[in-house]
Amino acid sequence: MDLLLSQHLLNWLLQGSILALVALGFSLLFGVLNVIHFSHGDVSIVGPFVALAVMQILLVEILPHTWASALILAAIVAIVATGCLGVLVDWLVVRRFRTAPAMMALVATVALGAIIRELIRMLYPQGSNPQPFPELISAQLEFGKLSVPISTLFMFAVSVLMVAGLYVIMHRTPLGIRIRAVAQDRDIARLMGIHPNRIFAATFFIASAVGAIGGIFYASSAGVIRFDFGIQFGLIGFSAAVIGGLGSMHGAIIGSFVLAAIDTVAQATLADGAAYRLVFAFLLVILVLVLRPSGLFGKPILEKV
Amino acid sequence: MTAEPTADRLTGGVAQSVAIVAGLEIGGAALLRLFLLSEKTWIVVALLAVFGAAFAVLQLRPRLEERIATAFRQSRLVALLLGFAIVLVYPFLMQGSSYALHLLITAQLYAVLALALNFQLGSANIPNFATAASYGIGAYSSALLAINFGISVWLTLPVAAVVATVFGFVLGFPAMRTRDTYLALVTLAFGIVIHQLLNNFTWTGGPNGLAGIPAPTILGHSFNSPIYLLGYRLPSQANFYYLAAALVALAIVCARLLHHSRVGLAWNALRSNELAARCQGINVVWYKMLAFGVDAFLAAFAGSIYAFYVSYIAPDNFTFLVSVTIMTMVIVGGMDNTFGVIVGAFLLVLLPEKLRIFDDYRLLFVGVIVILFLLLRPQGLFPQRPRSFGDH
Repeated sequence: MDLLLSQHLLNWLLQGSILALVALGFSLLFGVLNVIHFSHGDVSIVGPFVALAVMQILLVEILPHTWASALILAAIVAIVATGCLGVLVDWLVVRRFRTAPAMMALVATVALGAIIRELIRMLYPQGSNPQPFPELISAQLEFGKLSVPISTLFMFAVSVLMVAGLYVIMHRTPLGIRIRAVAQDRDIARLMGIHPNRIFAATFFIASAVGAIGGIFYASSAGVIRFDFGIQFGLIGFSAAVIGGLGSMHGAIIGSFVLAAIDTVAQATLADGAAYRLVFAFLLVILVLVLRPSGLFGKPILEKV
Repeated sequence: MTAEPTADRLTGGVAQSVAIVAGLEIGGAALLRLFLLSEKTWIVVALLAVFGAAFAVLQLRPRLEERIATAFRQSRLVALLLGFAIVLVYPFLMQGSSYALHLLITAQLYAVLALALNFQLGSANIPNFATAASYGIGAYSSALLAINFGISVWLTLPVAAVVATVFGFVLGFPAMRTRDTYLALVTLAFGIVIHQLLNNFTWTGGPNGLAGIPAPTILGHSFNSPIYLLGYRLPSQANFYYLAAALVALAIVCARLLHHSRVGLAWNALRSNELAARCQGINVVWYKMLAFGVDAFLAAFAGSIYAFYVSYIAPDNFTFLVSVTIMTMVIVGGMDNTFGVIVGAFLLVLLPEKLRIFDDYRLLFVGVIVILFLLLRPQGLFPQRPRSFGDH
C-alpha cells in the first residue's frame, strides 16, 4: 500500500475515534434531554486538565518514577471528576431549563461554556498559557517502511471499547433501558416509576466521562492543551453529531468518521486545507440540515396537526 | 394591561403627562451621564442600585408603569422633541471625554444590532446565531469598497446593506426546510463559516484584518477631526456619535413601522403558532426570509459604521460569541420590546466596561449574569407590551 495513503488513513482513524467520543456525548444528551448541551466541549476539556494536575502531583510528591501507573491513575481520576462535573452542570444549570424553550437552554449552555473556560484559566496555574500534554505511549510499530504509533492504535481500540460499552449499557442494562425510556417519553417513564432527574444525572455522567476520554486523547495527540481548546473541540464534535443525526448513537460515530475523512482529504489535497477544516465541517452541517433536517440517521421530525 | 382602568384615571392631566415625560427623559439622561463619567466603582454600583430600585418599583406598582406609558402616548410630540434635543446636546455634556463618547457609540451600534435581531428572535421567535456574520459582512463590504476602489463612504453604506441582505436571504433559504433547534444550528454554522472564511481569504486580510479604512467626510469636514461649534470643541468621536444616533433612530423607526404593520403581526403569529399561522394563509416561508433580510440589512449598516469608526477590522470582531452577546441583549432587555432591547444593549456594553476592577473576571461575570437572567427573568427586563389598537 502507498505509504502516504496509509499515513492519511491512520490520521483519519485517529481523528475519527477522538471525534466520536465527544460526538457521542452530544448525541446522547440531545436524545435524552432534547437540549443541545453546548458546553459539552468545555466540560470534556476539563478532563485533560485534571489528568495533568493529578499526574504532576503524583509524579512529584507521591510516586516518582512510576510513569505508567501515574498515567493510568490520573486518567481514571480525570474521567470520574469530569463525569461528576457533568452531573454538577446538570444540577446547577441545565436542569432548570427543562421546561423552557430549547433556545433558552442553548444560550444558557453557551454562557456556561464561557464560565467553565474562565474557571479553568483562573484555577489552573498559569492557565492562560498552553500546557504541554504528554504522549500516552510513545513507542512505534514498524511495518517495513510504515511506522504506526501505538498510541493511535490504542486510542482507536479504546474508542471501539467505549462505543461497545455504551451500546451494552444502553441496550442490556436496566439503567440503559431507563435512559431510553426517558428519552422516548418523559411522562410515561415517570408513570413507570422512573425518576427522570436521576436518569438525566446518569446520562450527564456517562456523556461527560466519555467526553473526558476524548479530551485526553485530543490533548495527547495535539501534544498541548489550552483553556479555550474546548470551543473548537466542542464545535467539531457537535457538527459530527449533527451530521449523523442528533440523538442517534451510530449516527454520531458515522458522522465523526465522515467529518474526519473530509478533514483528512482537505489536508492531503489542499495547500492550506487545515485552515479550512471548520469551513468544510460546517458547510456539510448546513447541507445535511437542509437536505435531511434530522441528520443522516436521526429520527424524522413529525408534525402533528 | 390586566384591569381596565377608568377613562379618567387613564388619561390624567396632559400637563402632568408632559411633566412625567420630561422628568423621566432628563433624569435618565442625567443618570446615564453620571454613569459614563464616573471613575469610582462605588458610584457605578450605586447607580445600578438606583436602576434596580426603579425597576422594582415598576414591578410592584404596575399602575405606575401604565401611567408612564399613557404619559408617553399622550405627549408623544414633546417626548420626541425632548429626546431629540437630549441626544443632540449630549456630547457637549461629556466634558470632552472621548472615552465616554466611544462607549456611547459602541452601545448605540449594539443597540442597532440587538434591534435587528429582535425582528427575528423577539417578533418571530427565530433563533438566529448569525447576526455577527451579517455585521461582519457589512463591515467588510464597506471597508473593501472604500479601500480598494475609493468609493465614497456614503455610497458604500447602501451597497454593504444590499450585499448583507442578499446573504441574509440566502441564509433564510434553509428556513424553508428547518425549524427551531435545527434552524438555530444552520444559522450557527453559517456564522462560523463566514468567520472562518474572513479569517482565511487573503483578500480580506486574513486574521490580520483590514487596516486603514478611510474616515467619511461630509461637506469637506472629515469625521476624524474634532467639531468646533459655538466655542465648544467636541472630540472627533462626536461625529460618529451623531451618525450612530441617526442609525439608532432609523432602527427604531423601522421597528415601529414593522411592528405595527401586517408584517409585524404575521411575525407575531408565527411566534405563537406556526401551524395556525399557516392555516390563516400567512406565507410562513416568505415572512421568515423577510425577517432574515431585515436583520441583515440593519446589522450591515451597524457594521459599516463600525468599520469606518475604528478604521480597522479583523475577523475576531465578528465571532459566534458576538452573536451570542447580541442575543443576550435581546433576552435581557425583553423580547419584542424596542425600549427594552435598547436598554439591554446599553447595559451589556456599559456594565463590563465600567466594572474594570473585575477585569480578570469579566467573562465569568457576564456568563453568570446571562444564566441568572435566563433563570430568574426569562421574559427580560421589559416584556412585550400588549398591542393596543385604535388609539395611535
